Amino acid sequence: MAASFLFSQFVGGLTTAMFLFLIASGLSLVFGVMRVINFAHGSFYMLGAYLAWQMVRWLHPSAESFWPAALLAASSVALLGVIVERLLLRFLYGREELYQLLFTYALVLILGDAAKFAWGTAQLTVSRPAVLNGSIDILGATVPYYNLFIMLLGLAIALGGWRLLSGSGAGRMVRAASYDREMLDALGANVGGIYTGMFAVSSFLAGLSGALVTPISSIVPGMDVEIIVQAFIVVVIGGLGSFWGTFWGSLIYGLVLSFGILIFPSFSLFSVFALMAVILIVRPWGLLGRPIR
Amino acid sequence: MSLRRLLALACAVAILPSVAMADTIKIGFPIPLSGPTASYGNPILKGAQMAVEEINAKGGVLGQKLEILPRDSKANADEAVRLARELIIKDGVQFLIGTLTSAEAPAVSTIAKENKIVFLAPSAKAMLLTAPQNLHPYVFRVASTTATEGQSGAYIVSKWQGVKKVATIAPDYAYGRDIIAAFTEHLKQLRPDIEIVDQEWPKLGEPDLTPFITAQMSKKPDAVYCALFSGDFITLVKQATPLGYFKAINNRLADGGEVGAVDITAALGNDYPFGIWADAYDPVVWPGNEPAEHKAFITRLKAYMKSDVGSGWAIQGYSAVEALAAGIQKAGSTNSDKVAAALAGLTYDTPVGKRTFDAKTHNSDAGEFWGIMVKDPAYPYAIISSPGYYNPLPVTN
Repeated sequence: MAASFLFSQFVGGLTTAMFLFLIASGLSLVFGVMRVINFAHGSFYMLGAYLAWQMVRWLHPSAESFWPAALLAASSVALLGVIVERLLLRFLYGREELYQLLFTYALVLILGDAAKFAWGTAQLTVSRPAVLNGSIDILGATVPYYNLFIMLLGLAIALGGWRLLSGSGAGRMVRAASYDREMLDALGANVGGIYTGMFAVSSFLAGLSGALVTPISSIVPGMDVEIIVQAFIVVVIGGLGSFWGTFWGSLIYGLVLSFGILIFPSFSLFSVFALMAVILIVRPWGLLGRPIR
Repeated sequence: MSLRRLLALACAVAILPSVAMADTIKIGFPIPLSGPTASYGNPILKGAQMAVEEINAKGGVLGQKLEILPRDSKANADEAVRLARELIIKDGVQFLIGTLTSAEAPAVSTIAKENKIVFLAPSAKAMLLTAPQNLHPYVFRVASTTATEGQSGAYIVSKWQGVKKVATIAPDYAYGRDIIAAFTEHLKQLRPDIEIVDQEWPKLGEPDLTPFITAQMSKKPDAVYCALFSGDFITLVKQATPLGYFKAINNRLADGGEVGAVDITAALGNDYPFGIWADAYDPVVWPGNEPAEHKAFITRLKAYMKSDVGSGWAIQGYSAVEALAAGIQKAGSTNSDKVAAALAGLTYDTPVGKRTFDAKTHNSDAGEFWGIMVKDPAYPYAIISSPGYYNPLPVTN
């Protein structure tokens, strides 16, 4: 019993971790790499959830419409991200971070009220897509297929994001821009376009994670603020600028929370924050980050 | 017309409404209207507004119309306090109804005491509000209490056959801790043979309950008492069902957080864990001996809320206003001391029965309606089958 129970907790921790990584991946891109403080990342996540619910209703209130609904929701959020970046946010690059924080926080309030206006304050839920209903028994632990899907997706995003940033030309330029934007501009690169593109990807990821979370959670006002703190924690302890760092940060967060519940049932949250404090004391730039210039 | 004349006319017109309003009885209403708890705050406000509309249509109270001034407390005690002060000092309210959470209510109660304003709490259950050190003549509780809720839960669980091991899961703050304490204490009295094998304490609003669920399942309880409510309960259902949580305990779960209310059952639809025991202040759908007054109330409520579903929470706002109106009527005045004296020990009407404010503790003897949640072909959501009134033990008519 003990072994299968520990494995259960482990799998539970993995689920928490990947669930969080889905959201944090977009933030890692925009905050970790682009060094743009986007507090509204959580709002994009929330909008992805609400839009997914709305699309499911419009397309066909059945479980099969879930996938197109999720993709449509994520794309809509990406579009919103592009509009926000192009029209508003890009005037704040290079300025003091405080301006970006204040602006995106204002965006949080605006989007929160907009969501409340559009969908009210009642809780909304979306049913699991039929194809992923059910679960598999692994070593005595029941693992729902949907959770398995989220774990695999998280891994895919980590790999894809890493390839994008380290391997592709656009990725190299983004990293260069985060070091010295003006120089890159002077060299003739379309920095504005790169930033918009990356912001779109980040927003897409935020919206997608919001949409994919709906079958295993409830859509409530306030979910934007709830998640953004956890996402920032994970990006910071993983190390700014490192996509894999965010991945490991999420894993640590999920597993520590999961096993923390066993060791300190009344202080489960404490164990996560204690670990965070330790990591930041020992390595202030995060696990896989570099000392900030 | 000269500009000066126009200005003077504009000022006169601006003052006019407030002059007219001086004849109304103003009730300040700070309650969460945004954020996760707004799904309760909004229907409670709607219920109160409907009551005010109905009372005013009949001529008001003591010849004066009632007026509600709603404010969004964002479920934050500091904000609620600030709003309460503003309502009293700037808007000149004579009474306060509101707050949702057990954190806001005691804070606003302090303001009510300072300013000698009668304050009715429609939803806060934690004992702190009317504990001897916090009690004062002007605070009254329309909600049930954690003691009642915990005891009802214990009674229900104690009646289940073949239950030797019980687990609890509750949000980690005053409300959750109070309820579980009341539950476990009472269960021990009723069934000393039952062992509490596991207690989980996820934080309020925790988006991922999976590790708590798996930890609890590993202890193999026979039954569970759950105090998660609202969004947390929905999260629990969505995450625990695929893990086989409800199946493992044969749906022997009792939840006293009003998850039997249509607000929650409508949100979950077919994903609801049918077979569990849940409660609501107002079952809304009432198979069995539904009182005629309740049926009429629900019809009016659905029309007022422009909703087919209604709400199991609106009744708390409605009852609070009814109670206040009755108190003012009995006192024959809107003077706070007189109304407070009138409310203590007062029996007031609600669409689900009469309630009385205890003269000493100022708690109303409000129980809740419990029953097994079942699927009904007439509704696309779970309903309470044969709702029974528990206060805290089942009341047989």
